[in-house]
Amino acid sequence: MLVKRGIPASPGVAIGPALVLGSEDFRIPNQFTKVDAVESEILRLRYALEKVCRELEEQQRLANERLGQQYGAIFEAHLLMARDPKLLADIESKIRKRRYSPEFAASLVLRRHARKLKELSNSYLAERATDIFDLEKNLLRHLLGEQREELSQLTAPVVVLAHDLTPSETAGLNKQFVLAFATEGGGRTSHTAILAGALEIPAIVGVGSFLTDVSGGETVIIDGDHGEVIIDPDEECLARYRENAARSKSVTERLQPIGHQQSVTQDGVPIPVYGNIEFPEELEHCRLRGADGIGLYRTEFLYLGSARERTEEDHLEAYRQVVQAFPDKPVVIRTLDLGADKVPSQQKLFFNGQPNPELGLRSIRLSLSDKALFKTQLRAILRVAALGDVRVMFPLISSLAELRQAKMLLHDVSEDLAEEGVSFRGDLPIGMMVEVPSAALMADQFAREVDFFSIGTNDLIQYTLAADRGNPAVSQYYNASDPAILRLIQMVVTAAERHQVPVTVCGQMSSDPKFVPLLVGLGVRELSVTPQSIPQVKAVVRSLAIPQARELAERALELDVASHVETFLRGELLKICPEVVL
Amino acid sequence: MAPSNVARRELTVALEQGLHVVPCSVIAKTAREFNGSVRILRGGMVADATSIFDLLGLNAQRGTVLTLEADGEGAAEFLDRLVSLFESGFDTPR
Repeated sequence: MLVKRGIPASPGVAIGPALVLGSEDFRIPNQFTKVDAVESEILRLRYALEKVCRELEEQQRLANERLGQQYGAIFEAHLLMARDPKLLADIESKIRKRRYSPEFAASLVLRRHARKLKELSNSYLAERATDIFDLEKNLLRHLLGEQREELSQLTAPVVVLAHDLTPSETAGLNKQFVLAFATEGGGRTSHTAILAGALEIPAIVGVGSFLTDVSGGETVIIDGDHGEVIIDPDEECLARYRENAARSKSVTERLQPIGHQQSVTQDGVPIPVYGNIEFPEELEHCRLRGADGIGLYRTEFLYLGSARERTEEDHLEAYRQVVQAFPDKPVVIRTLDLGADKVPSQQKLFFNGQPNPELGLRSIRLSLSDKALFKTQLRAILRVAALGDVRVMFPLISSLAELRQAKMLLHDVSEDLAEEGVSFRGDLPIGMMVEVPSAALMADQFAREVDFFSIGTNDLIQYTLAADRGNPAVSQYYNASDPAILRLIQMVVTAAERHQVPVTVCGQMSSDPKFVPLLVGLGVRELSVTPQSIPQVKAVVRSLAIPQARELAERALELDVASHVETFLRGELLKICPEVVL
Repeated sequence: MAPSNVARRELTVALEQGLHVVPCSVIAKTAREFNGSVRILRGGMVADATSIFDLLGLNAQRGTVLTLEADGEGAAEFLDRLVSLFESGFDTPR
């Protein structure tokens, strides 16, 4: 039995046989290919190379358009390398004559070219060797990517263990057969982790190197609640987990019907509970559990997993699905919340390796720096707003100037739409995420200029306590129960009340039942949570009375250490609503 | 046997940074348009002008003497075009 710890990314426990996937740095699985497979292997190579060329063409086009011809020329050179007739001939001959696999042959030939450049005693050309390594990586990604498609062709349940999963691989996981996954790399904020939550399969990321200890087929337990991967568990451990799994299932099933009841406190105050979603299939999760609307619709998937930039129509189509699923209920669409390195048009090449990505060009800052990209999204949001109760929300706002600029763009876009005679709604409610401490501190100013606040606790905690929650070395410093976080939330709610601006809490904190009485006591009157938490959050709300919650919040604010706050809140939850406590 | 139609030109690289990636890609792209073979020689080294890897491998710097060689119909005219690209400093990518 071997126990490995990682970062819990998606809750739940699963037990099943291990399926080990190759590493992201492309460990080449086979050096040789079978004699009768040579021709099909060559076809596979050409197909992969063609895909690489298409991606490069698209990147070149975008670079020309956005950044100017001198940047486009860089991709032109990459493209000429990929299309180099000698390159293809060399690789093919290695496959034919030596029976090398396409992966091995391509890697061999490209690395030889790179080495030659490095040996030229010309520092400029030596640096270009990285272009060749890039090409190698892209080609291997496509060659191996096809093999990794086996992931979507499973026929029996497995637990997936991988170095890393790309967001598109994660999104493509077949829930029927993939019971859970654990990856060596990645952090809790990584998109893969968020997707796992969306798919509602237990997941652990950032385990560190462990794949060498697994050969595949062993029984593995993924404990997504505690971040433990247990390889080859002993009988006693297995029995304990099976029993826990049964108990947790019965609690979930018992609470399920509560989702469809009204979310009001004992003394009749409504506290609507919305769902956080990203993908259309999550709409069903929300509907089944009785969501009162969509409090956070993440739009990042529209920017990921495609080398092509999505059109306004692509956005509109995605948004329309959500609005149609919740026609009479609020749907809050959050604009792009990604780092520059993740957006195809932003050319990884130029923004890669920002030393401090969480403090870098991301989220609303990226949108404001690439207005064409931003306007496409804003146009689609304004258009879909004509069809339902749609609200727009800007993430990571850190200053008033930034908010005003975003609002100005929204205004410009609505003028354009009016001129074009397209149907849209220009006066939709505009809100902002409060997730940067500066925004919390300035909440009374912001409250004059927005229609609603949504507190994003994940980032607010990370920025306030200066702890990257994806980094296991500092995860002890990342704590939602920290008194500083409680005070910031209180500040925001107080400022919002003064200006009669509603406040939602949409971070992971609001999905945790022990924080629900506290948040309500601090004055929060709307919660937006992961879909699977809706029933239990409603169960807590329905057991609660406002004066009791206020008193609880006051007492919590008097505590000076995070661990005391946490213990206190756990104890109170047990008194208020024991049925949600496992 | 068809008469051979080989043309040759000699030139000295004037580019500040030598034949770096962008000029090499312009040459490779242009050479791929020619219906025949194009080679660039430096001392004993021969580069297929359609191969950007070969061209980079010449390691041609400012002052390096190169021989351009084309074999095929319109070889002389084609080399004129290539030489003019060298003379213009490859500043018009296309």
